[in-house]
Amino acid sequence: MSNTYYLAQSNEVELFEAAASMNLPILIKGPTGCGKTRFIEAMGEKLGREVYTVVCHDDLSAADLIGRHLIDENGTFWQDGPLTKAVRNGGICYLDEIIEARKDTTVVLHSLADYRRVLPIDRTGEVIEAHPDFMLVVSYNPGYQNVLKGMKPSTKQRFISLSFNYPKPEIEKEVIIKESSVNAAIAQKLVNIAGEIRRLSDSDIQEAVSTRLLIYAAKLIVKGFDPYQACMHSIVESLSDEDDVLEVLQKLISLHFTKSA
Amino acid sequence: MDEKVGKFWDKYVTKKASRLYEAEKVLFEERARSLKIFYHLLGGDKAKELHITDKRFLKTSRTLLEKFSGKGKSFFLAWQDEKALYFPASLSYFDDKNLNEMHYYWLCAMLAHVNIKSNASINENKKAANFLIEKYSGFKDFHTNAEAFLLERYPELSTIKPLNEDLLDDNSYPNPLWIYPSHSSNTMLLDFDDEEEMGREDGKKDKTEELKMKKKAEQINDDKETDGLLLFLPESLMSLMEQVNVDRQENDSFDEDALYNAEDLDEITLGKKDANLASRIKMDLDISANSAEDYPLGKGHFRDEWDYKKESYLKNYVCIKPQISIYVEAIELPKRLEKMMKKIHSELDLMELDRIKIDNLPYGDELNLDTWIDYKGHKNHSNHPQRFFQSYKKKTRDMATLILADISLSTEAGITQDIRVIDMIKDSLMVFAESLQRLQDRFSIYAFSSIRNKKVNFHIIKNFKEKYSDRVRGRIDLIKPGYYTRLGAAIRESAKILEKQQSANKLLLILSDGKPNDVDRYDGRYGIEDTKKAIEEVKQKGITPFCITIDVEAKEYLPYLFGRNSYAVIRDAKKLPKVVTEIYMNLTR
Repeated sequence: MSNTYYLAQSNEVELFEAAASMNLPILIKGPTGCGKTRFIEAMGEKLGREVYTVVCHDDLSAADLIGRHLIDENGTFWQDGPLTKAVRNGGICYLDEIIEARKDTTVVLHSLADYRRVLPIDRTGEVIEAHPDFMLVVSYNPGYQNVLKGMKPSTKQRFISLSFNYPKPEIEKEVIIKESSVNAAIAQKLVNIAGEIRRLSDSDIQEAVSTRLLIYAAKLIVKGFDPYQACMHSIVESLSDEDDVLEVLQKLISLHFTKSA
Repeated sequence: MDEKVGKFWDKYVTKKASRLYEAEKVLFEERARSLKIFYHLLGGDKAKELHITDKRFLKTSRTLLEKFSGKGKSFFLAWQDEKALYFPASLSYFDDKNLNEMHYYWLCAMLAHVNIKSNASINENKKAANFLIEKYSGFKDFHTNAEAFLLERYPELSTIKPLNEDLLDDNSYPNPLWIYPSHSSNTMLLDFDDEEEMGREDGKKDKTEELKMKKKAEQINDDKETDGLLLFLPESLMSLMEQVNVDRQENDSFDEDALYNAEDLDEITLGKKDANLASRIKMDLDISANSAEDYPLGKGHFRDEWDYKKESYLKNYVCIKPQISIYVEAIELPKRLEKMMKKIHSELDLMELDRIKIDNLPYGDELNLDTWIDYKGHKNHSNHPQRFFQSYKKKTRDMATLILADISLSTEAGITQDIRVIDMIKDSLMVFAESLQRLQDRFSIYAFSSIRNKKVNFHIIKNFKEKYSDRVRGRIDLIKPGYYTRLGAAIRESAKILEKQQSANKLLLILSDGKPNDVDRYDGRYGIEDTKKAIEEVKQKGITPFCITIDVEAKEYLPYLFGRNSYAVIRDAKKLPKVVTEIYMNLTR
């Protein structure tokens, strides 16, 4: 029934289903491109709930989530925001990169994320009780460094937390094959490369290579690109701008995929 | 004349005998940083450093010409110990630069895969090589080519193939593709036990110290932090000059001349310790610093320290001695900083663009359309508050920043003839304090230096409660270079202070001029690991650590300590005062 491909890394599917059945909100942590968004989409399909995705940024106001009055020819009318829609009609409200939103914005989630499950709307004076199928999911990437950005502990402690990481080699290989239909040998090499680059992580490059990038590389290879070139363009160049790091990564790729002259 | 002819002859014969390709030579120093990253890529220990190796003497069969010219009895081989990897200073076995470069990568990969405890046996080497060939098609090509090439050029190599003996010994011709055991692999283990024991005894200096001066390149056991010097009365210092201390582990010793001179020496005595340039001769003179002005606050208290070998904390191991300068003069901002301060102030004022909007005001700067529409949409107008205005207010940031300045003896070093590092640190502190005052962010300033675990002087310049005043500036002005840098302890103490602050965002800003070090084993890996642990603790407490350093070598160890995004290296120390403030602004934007 579900069309979105998602291969479970461990127990996250069971956990999500359990949380959904008990109306518990979920927080997902993980580096970029490890499958957070894909997971939510797949779960939405599996549970038959619509997913309302909001990508957070630092200008996001509470009104952007809840809704606001708009004007048409008859005067003003109230327009629900994505959060309110999900609360009213049931569905998964997914706030991506919640850490980017200002802390005073995320406070509106508090009453929804605990036992009360209500959304008070100050502007209309309405208090909406959440639909039984409403579920709140937030995600963020713990890797970024900025003192002023972070989640309030009081917000954090309202969620069941799921920590994502890049999938295990066997799983990642399968994902790459499934997504790009590349052959197993190349997928294995890509996974090996990724495993090596990920060892560098925070000390030499800002963030390690994501599963998403590996899939891009695999897709280029399937399209007929030389594997070395494909890796250079999809993996190496997007990871660093520093010459010495690039040089070593280049070397690494050439060790796995011999450069064709 | 005779000498000239002799030299010429020597040069000629040596050249003739050499089977290396000088024109295709690849130098280690040009590849060092890349190799280090490569080593990390392959899962190598991130705390290890990369160095060049010294010559190794092997009793091998040589060609007649080689015997004649004196070539070929000593070799530069790749090896490793617990602390570092050692590479030949240059490689030129192959007639192609690319192959020689690849040779370095190959050795690096081998070092990452050979088990250090196995004594680098032939089997171990073969196992690692097979693994690499299996996994990397690039290495497979290299190895096939290289092996064929070497066997052709060095027929002696084939003789070691059928050897039954598993251990690599000094008798067979060295295989440049292999990793060799550590120089003193059998004494190595002993050394480490020594060091362990040392820690407990805490360096009893009255014990008779033995200087092991073995024949042939061996390591002098100077675990006891003496660099071979301390035990002697200063008067007898001169008599020790015959012991040449060439520090193999010094990072900045890539000076070419030194390198080649070293190649020509038959024997080099190697000191084992990392020596901080400024503190190469370490003497604990035991003079209490500034005792006239510094007033100790209490008897001091104890903090834990992390022992990476035991993988546990040494409970209450370090004594922190908080102190404050009394009788300080209140001074104004020095004239030399006024111009810079003006500039920074205007930059800070620009930051006010970062304002936040406040809605729902009965009066204010602008009309807020949203509230007006809300009002219009309301059926009962009289119930709705008529607050249609919005205003912009400067962002008040819930910040608490603790600045921790390293004022170890090395800050005494000069940048130019009249400016010392410590002067720049003082100026930075003044400018920084001025800026934060302007931003109305809460801050405190501390400075530290240490003498072993017995005494970590923790100078209070300004705590969070005290108002910034001319007296604080006076205290900054009184800062003098102290002793060593027991960074971990200072970080833990700072974390304790920050932990008590109520602010939502806490920043620990460390100003430093070099690696953590102290007169005891804190030098080297022990200190690095303890500092790393302390940083982890800080992060766990929800405090953001950030390190600003003027040590250009810092790229070697800071990423390991702080992580990629949490440090800045400033090449020109004179810019420190300005840059510190800029970094702060960027961090908190």
